[in-house]
Amino acid sequence: MTLWTILWIALPFLVGFSIYLLPGRDRILGRIFDGRNLALAIALVSTAYAVGLFWQPAPLELHLLDSFGVTLMADSPSAFFILTNALVTAAVVLYCWPSGKSSFFYTQVILLHGSVNAAFICADLISLYVALEVISITAFLLIAYPNSHRSLWVAMRYLFISNTAMLFYLMGTAMVYRTHQTFAFTGLQGAPYEAIALIFVALLAKGGIFVSGLWLPLTHSEAESPVSALLSGVVVKAGVFPLVRCALMVEELAPVVRVFGVTAALFGVLYALVETDAKRVLACSTLSQLGWVLAVPEAAGLYVLAHGLGKAALFLTVGNLPSRDLGLLRQQPMETNLWMPLMLGSLSISGLPLLAGFSAKTLLLKQALPWQSLALNGAAVGTATLYAKFVFLPHQSSEKPERWTAKLGLWMALALLLGALFILNLGYLDAYTGSSIVKTLLLIGAGFLIHELLIQRITLVLPRQMEDFEHLVGGMSLMLVVLFWMTWSWLA
Amino acid sequence: MLYACVYATILLGFFGILLKENLVMKIIAMDVMSTGVIALFVLVAAGGGRFTPIFIDGPQRDYADPVPQAVILTAIVIGFSIQALMLVGVMKLARDNPTLETRAIEEEYRP
Repeated sequence: MTLWTILWIALPFLVGFSIYLLPGRDRILGRIFDGRNLALAIALVSTAYAVGLFWQPAPLELHLLDSFGVTLMADSPSAFFILTNALVTAAVVLYCWPSGKSSFFYTQVILLHGSVNAAFICADLISLYVALEVISITAFLLIAYPNSHRSLWVAMRYLFISNTAMLFYLMGTAMVYRTHQTFAFTGLQGAPYEAIALIFVALLAKGGIFVSGLWLPLTHSEAESPVSALLSGVVVKAGVFPLVRCALMVEELAPVVRVFGVTAALFGVLYALVETDAKRVLACSTLSQLGWVLAVPEAAGLYVLAHGLGKAALFLTVGNLPSRDLGLLRQQPMETNLWMPLMLGSLSISGLPLLAGFSAKTLLLKQALPWQSLALNGAAVGTATLYAKFVFLPHQSSEKPERWTAKLGLWMALALLLGALFILNLGYLDAYTGSSIVKTLLLIGAGFLIHELLIQRITLVLPRQMEDFEHLVGGMSLMLVVLFWMTWSWLA
Repeated sequence: MLYACVYATILLGFFGILLKENLVMKIIAMDVMSTGVIALFVLVAAGGGRFTPIFIDGPQRDYADPVPQAVILTAIVIGFSIQALMLVGVMKLARDNPTLETRAIEEEYRP
């Protein structure tokens, strides 16, 4: 398994960088080694590796020679994260299959896939730093792929914020090394408070948690829909995963992570409820769902998988709707075959039984601490309320003969994502107890009711000042102060 | 004392990112900040001594820790490539927004 791990982690970079050396599409060999074939093959290899990891009895650890703490660690939480990455990447490649994207696009997809995988198995600060920076660069290139000035600005904004965050991270890393002469995550135990605060502020910003994640709505809603699916489905999780792993490895840090999780879950929901743009609603809901992942680090794996698949399906579908404005969509009915995946994805994230979202949410709520339960149940009602915006959109069946063949890529991608949601659900049948089913149905019912009675009738516009570039950087410094106070008063 | 200087550099860079209006100035401020971070790593490495860690016959001298230096070498390369990428982006943006004021750009491209 050690050899397989090394081969698997190196493969995407090897393939990604050598795509340009291969012959073009006009040759037979070039048609076989086409960018999209290679990207799909790599996603399949990752799926196989993740499934293999599930059967691994003990966590697999690879240490770099000598003792600087540089470690790769593959265990069952990483397996869930890697599987999410593999399935979402495969779906995005299938979606782009007929669209004639250049091999540059697939190169970036492959490199992004590889670096996200690397972030999911590293257990030390330096490998994580390198992985996160490669993710920033490839995500920048993917967002800027349409080559318009607007997409370029959105991408630059993202790169700027994430690079500033990573500079803070490096500072924290230097401090940890000075104290313990190691880069391992376990070195955070007993590290200076300011080092922990610096590292956390960077990871919170990269992972899009709470106020530091406010760069996320604009970035995720303005990118092309396959790129949004990748960003929301897996890329932000590369920032969240190290926080989860730190909380599991270093017990003192768990309360800090949990508090941020719960506040982010509530904050994101409130933000999403007042939005009227379909893609922005989805992006703000990502803010809230990432909070869920952090709120209960023990149950993060399955939740990430369920959310990643559901959110990717939603982004891909919304990209094909006639309009992004929910008010307009409410007036003109869409085609039923587009509404079906929209509804299934929404219901899965709301946690309806028969879909993987239900198992994930039930298992997560079961392991939540008593003080978290109330807040998380409130957030669950909020989630159902905001997805009711999609579920109750009008639709009519179209009789056009080409309604299935016109968007072949979309249907292939959706079949993969939604099928995976169904199949996963079968693996966790122990979540189905009478009380949990009744409870989730009540939560969802309450959410739908609130939507019908309240949300649909009032329009509230939140100021978007907080999302301005300068305020984002300023918010980062405020978060730094808050985090320093938290670590100083809680860990002392 | 040296640590204070390094932290001051980082802080100044950060304030530059925060307070400068012009996008190019922001990028330069970020470069200042990353210079500070690099200096911090070099300083941490020099904690135990300053000699190059080369194996020699005779008594070993106090040598600098090579690990942080190796690490920061990676970080320098990454930081440099990101800066280059951003400057290319700025060159493209400058065609539409010759002043490169962040606030004006933000206004223009807001949905």
